[in-house]
Amino acid sequence: MEIFPALASVLSDPVLLGWVFLAAIVGMIVGAIPGLTASAAIAMLLPLTFYMEPLPALAFLYVIGKSGRYGGSIAAILFNTPGTAASAATQLDGYPLARQGKAGKAMKVATISSVIGDFIGEILLIVGVAWIAAIALKLGPPELFAVYFAAFIVIGSVIGKSVTRGLASAALGVLVAMIGLDPISSTERFTFGSFDLTNGISLVPLMIGIFVLGEVFAQIEERGKTTEMVPDGNDAMRNRLTWAEYKPCLPHVIRSSFIGSFIGMLPGLGSAIAAFVAYGEGKRRAKNPDDWGKGALEGVAAPEAANNAVSGPSMAPLLTLGIPGSTIGAILIGVFLIHGIQIGPTLFLTSRELVYALFACGLIGIAMYGLIGFYGAAFVGRFITRIPTGVLYPVIFLTSFVAAYTSRGNLFDVDVMVAAGFLGWLMRKLDFNPAAFVISFVLAGGAEEAFRQALLLSDNGMMIFITRPIALLFLLVGLTALAVRVRSLNRQSRAVTLEEAR
Amino acid sequence: MSAGPTPASRTVAVALILLGVGATFTSMNIALDQYGRWGARIFPLAGSLSLVALGLAELWGARGKPAPALDRQHLPAIFALLALAVAYVWVMAQFGYLISTALAAPLALWIFGVRNVIGLLAAAVLCPAAYHLIFFELLGVFPPFGRWFDLLDVFGWY
Repeated sequence: MEIFPALASVLSDPVLLGWVFLAAIVGMIVGAIPGLTASAAIAMLLPLTFYMEPLPALAFLYVIGKSGRYGGSIAAILFNTPGTAASAATQLDGYPLARQGKAGKAMKVATISSVIGDFIGEILLIVGVAWIAAIALKLGPPELFAVYFAAFIVIGSVIGKSVTRGLASAALGVLVAMIGLDPISSTERFTFGSFDLTNGISLVPLMIGIFVLGEVFAQIEERGKTTEMVPDGNDAMRNRLTWAEYKPCLPHVIRSSFIGSFIGMLPGLGSAIAAFVAYGEGKRRAKNPDDWGKGALEGVAAPEAANNAVSGPSMAPLLTLGIPGSTIGAILIGVFLIHGIQIGPTLFLTSRELVYALFACGLIGIAMYGLIGFYGAAFVGRFITRIPTGVLYPVIFLTSFVAAYTSRGNLFDVDVMVAAGFLGWLMRKLDFNPAAFVISFVLAGGAEEAFRQALLLSDNGMMIFITRPIALLFLLVGLTALAVRVRSLNRQSRAVTLEEAR
Repeated sequence: MSAGPTPASRTVAVALILLGVGATFTSMNIALDQYGRWGARIFPLAGSLSLVALGLAELWGARGKPAPALDRQHLPAIFALLALAVAYVWVMAQFGYLISTALAAPLALWIFGVRNVIGLLAAAVLCPAAYHLIFFELLGVFPPFGRWFDLLDVFGWY
């Protein structure tokens, strides 16, 4: 019930509403620009929020994340280029619809489905998060370490093409997080005699490097490619969406919203997996499966609902356990820390009002991007085609330097950002997993603390993780996820080999 | 352990193993605590040994599989941008933010294919001015002063 006073408080604050509105527009534009992601925009804008109050800062970045997920559908439908990995599923039916002159209709379906999915995810978060936090408060260090362990394995192994490279990305993230002084004994680790390294690697320049500068490096390979919009023909009759047309989409939207919400709660899986699972499940249950892939409105509705439903529940592990479920969650950790807010189960004891006000901003942000998208998606599409990428990416390049410097007023952070930028590009190029790297970097400190506290509690050393049932359960969850993923990849690999042999 | 062939499998595997071995030796040099316990070593060591194990797994997985060739077409431009990034930070430390950005802005535009001379000159003037105004004047961040020379000393924009 805390959400209602929070909604009233946010709605009565015009400045806060202004930040949410701005975030809805910025997120949509950034999400719709092929190659640029909401994570990159949030990482780049993060230092600007140091100078804001905690709630506007968090709300601004949180709503950019939501609106950015939706913005990807604009590029998928209008440009046949998914703005985000998740909107590749939307493209399967969105682009054929656009080719039929129904781009406006497809955009309306995508907008309504995104809004419904996002609302369902956010409401599930609001209802469930306090329960999860109450349970999390009862977990001891061994259980917490087991949860971290499962998160490392799932994040490293489930996303991306290669399990070994995904897990190696996670291991690299852990090693980089170990640079600096040991928090308990103040022993130097991996500092190689450098004074700058004794302070450790800061999260903000690392993220700006991986997500922003890394993307600028990647965009060099796309130089000269132009973004062209599918002509919408301005055929009002063809692009009008009626209730009769949307009604068959509704069961897909509801089912996909729950699929997205469930996947969102699991650390590291994210929107892309949710969107493709929802698309596959939708096609399997559809009355017209043969039309999917050729321009079915349901084929746009299902992945879009799942993609956006991920947004709210992905905050649950972050707010209750301090485990970011997504790259956006990892970046938001930076905002919480900068404003002196300790995330984890105690957040609901110390900053309950702030958390519910953030959820209220999320709900208002969904309504805002829904309205802007419903009436202005085509305008956003036309605006994006006019942005010259030859100018956009150099500007982002320069901004990443000043943003990294701003975080602590330290040129060493800029060096870190440059190194992380090149590493981010290299990781993408070699099928490593930059998201797993950053999330593991964020998780490593908490995991180490929980591990060492657990050992201090234990009389039998490592056996404490086996003898405590909840800890054992989470360890098994991690190992099972790894085994299932390896098996599935081996099957795919065998299928590819057989296909090639034919 | 991947669905399809991944680029440069053997090179990546050897790099992971070398990195892991190096990190393992460095981890073993982390001092023990006053009771002689391994506390501060455990996580770095676990991460390092994981890299060695994953490198070996990658090498095992690459047996008899041809790795797809890496696209090297854009490498000169990428290394040019990397060199620009490194030089930009160095010039910033020696000559301050304004001069370094005035040099970096047109070079970055040039690498991305902009050849309009007036546009490049405009970027050399407008970019440092705009960033200085937003970050160092409006947000009040203390700018990075040049060790050898800084235009801010001439203009008095503090």
